[in-house]
Amino acid sequence: MPKILIVDDSGTIRKMVRSSLRQIADAEFVEAGNGLEAIEQIALGPVSLIILDLNMPDMHGVDVLKFLRRHKGWSDVPVVVLTTRGDDTSRETAIAAGATEYLTKPFAPQVLLEAARTLLADGAARPRV
Amino acid sequence: MTPDDTTPFSDFLDDYFAECDDHLMGVRRLLLTLEGSVGRPEINRTALDELFRHFHSLKGISGMVELRAAEDLAHSLEEYLRALRQGEAALSAEGVDALFEGAQMLEQVIGARRAGMPLPPIDAVVVRVGRVVAGGATDRASAHASRPPAVAKALKPQWRCTFSPSADLVARGVRVDTVRQRLSSAGEISNAMPRVTPEGAIAFEFEIAATLDEAILAAWRADGIVVEPIVEAAADTRANTELLAGGPEPALVFEGDAATGGGVAPSHFVRVDLTRLDDLMRNVGDLVISRARLTETLARVERRIPSTDWRAIQENAVAIDRQLRTLREGIMRVRLVPVGEIFRRMPFVVRDLARESGKRVHLELQGQGTEIDKFLIERMMDPVLHLVRNAVSHGIEPAEERIAAGKSPEGTIILSAATAGDIVRIDIADDGRGVDAAAVVERARAVGLPVPPGPVDTSHLLALLCAPGFSTRDESDRASGRGVGMAVVQAAVEELSGSLTLETAPGAGTRFTLELPVTLAITDALIAKVAGETFAVPQAAIREVMEVRVAELLQVERNEMTPYRGAALPIVRLGRLFGLPDSQRDRLHVFVIGTGASALGIAVDRIIGQREIVVRAIADELVKVEGISGATDLGDGNVVLILDPAVLARHMRERPDRVFAARGAAR
Repeated sequence: MPKILIVDDSGTIRKMVRSSLRQIADAEFVEAGNGLEAIEQIALGPVSLIILDLNMPDMHGVDVLKFLRRHKGWSDVPVVVLTTRGDDTSRETAIAAGATEYLTKPFAPQVLLEAARTLLADGAARPRV
Repeated sequence: MTPDDTTPFSDFLDDYFAECDDHLMGVRRLLLTLEGSVGRPEINRTALDELFRHFHSLKGISGMVELRAAEDLAHSLEEYLRALRQGEAALSAEGVDALFEGAQMLEQVIGARRAGMPLPPIDAVVVRVGRVVAGGATDRASAHASRPPAVAKALKPQWRCTFSPSADLVARGVRVDTVRQRLSSAGEISNAMPRVTPEGAIAFEFEIAATLDEAILAAWRADGIVVEPIVEAAADTRANTELLAGGPEPALVFEGDAATGGGVAPSHFVRVDLTRLDDLMRNVGDLVISRARLTETLARVERRIPSTDWRAIQENAVAIDRQLRTLREGIMRVRLVPVGEIFRRMPFVVRDLARESGKRVHLELQGQGTEIDKFLIERMMDPVLHLVRNAVSHGIEPAEERIAAGKSPEGTIILSAATAGDIVRIDIADDGRGVDAAAVVERARAVGLPVPPGPVDTSHLLALLCAPGFSTRDESDRASGRGVGMAVVQAAVEELSGSLTLETAPGAGTRFTLELPVTLAITDALIAKVAGETFAVPQAAIREVMEVRVAELLQVERNEMTPYRGAALPIVRLGRLFGLPDSQRDRLHVFVIGTGASALGIAVDRIIGQREIVVRAIADELVKVEGISGATDLGDGNVVLILDPAVLARHMRERPDRVFAARGAAR
């Protein structure tokens, strides 16, 4: 049963992401409104996939990524960065910080769903550390 | 339904509008804050960041619901803020203007979408904001510095707080977010970051600048927050040095301060949490009570002390009294802040409103340096704001009407403050059309308010304007209406023991005057009834409250007693003290004050509640009564006397048969 963490300071966006991913069978969703909360969710139990906004109060998404990638145990959780068009952070910066996938808002639900499905399938195939 | 409602996320439009409301409210608040940074070398960085995020979020969510106009607008506003953040532009008055205009347009676009109306054109506003960004860049280039703007100073952190989240804590509602809020309410968080413990678990580290006591530490410890002081080499001499957080050369500032004792324009101000001043004030209050107790103790031993020694003691006692009063007044003075804090925001409110209503208004501010208690400032903000809005929307006439009346097309509003003795006077005067007495009377009759026959004078007029349910215009008058009205202004002023007066002349203008005491002390009190009279008793002085049956009171000589903690507690009936008739009740409430042998019970008919009261000292010597420390208004317009239990107790022990002549003072 995949557990998906949705991180965005906008409640509307979190709802939209959740709705886009509702077709994923048995998925359990947890949410966080900023970077610190995201890391708390990760501390509370393993997650299968993270949908991560970048520009948030209390810890920027890039710092969340860097933190995860530096530490064994969380270093290979797939992360879809979902950021607003025109954000300062470029695709290259996000990928370098450890993003698995980089999508921009506004996003099409189908595109996000495809990305999530692919990453969850990859993750399932890979042995857990 | 508009065709747009078929977008993939049209189900979320309600969420979208609700979130937009939140962001737009934040934007308005922050723009007013930011406006205060215009022309200053340092920008309020927190406000800037927060504002940026609001626009960024508005852009993001607007894109999701395919409201391109809002997305583009938010984008252009965000760009300006980005330039400010990166020091590529300076915050100019035109810039703030453009932000205000942009925010207003954004609100209109979102509102139109919500109402299913055609969207207003945004191009002109986007171009204007763009020009400010470009113009700002040139300003900046020609300015003396090319580095990012200095930002607000942060205090040096003294504590490192570590929080380790767990499922148990989450179940108790203790999460990183609540912890962060708790820490930030105790002090200033300068750094927050996660780390991995040697055991491989995640913990959060916060560095904060705060004054922490044992009680706070214990409460935090119970919720898994470990606190340790941040120790730095040679930090002792620099502990209080402020340094530029995020500034480009903090080391330079630091060195300068440490080496020369203030080479880089040292600040002579410290920011103090108001609660600390309240604590200090309470400490002084305790001191006053202790002082009274000391007097009483001294009185007991007086006859055993040789008179020469006694004189020396008395001299010291008088000196301490005087110093105590100076200390109390000094702390009151610390609480005073310039009234300009309220005034500074007004020009933008007026400009915004004038633009909306198509009027030309010039606002003049006078006496911004006038000082007033911090507590008052916060509570005066809304009433003054309301009166200024009223002046723009009801007072000042449209330009054509003014020209026709032979006036300058531009109306003037003068907002002034001045102190006279212990009173602060705030005037809101306009040169508009004046209050139309006939229209007010007509309106009052229409809404069923009692109107005295014959001509109404200004005090009647004001009473009608302030009557609940009165509003000279329709609810659609958003600008000054907002559902508050003059009734709320009046109530707010009275709660602060102030007064509101009106002067008006048809065709010439209107002046509202607020008069308030300069300082107030705030305290918690129990409110008691005695023979129909109401008294307030400061809670700090009360050790315990109990109920006694009158029939069970013991008569010992001329005193009444009741058993209390294995001893007899003398009871003083407050009513008898003030010459009021005895109650017919068979049970009385008793406040216990003092401890041990000096404990005393003050009996009242009943306690009717607990209130935070605003204490106003009775300055008039003619109505000053020992045992009464001041008066307060509970909001119902009646003056309630505040007992000074320590003084009462002292006098009662000295002369139990005394009757205070306080009834007159209540009138």
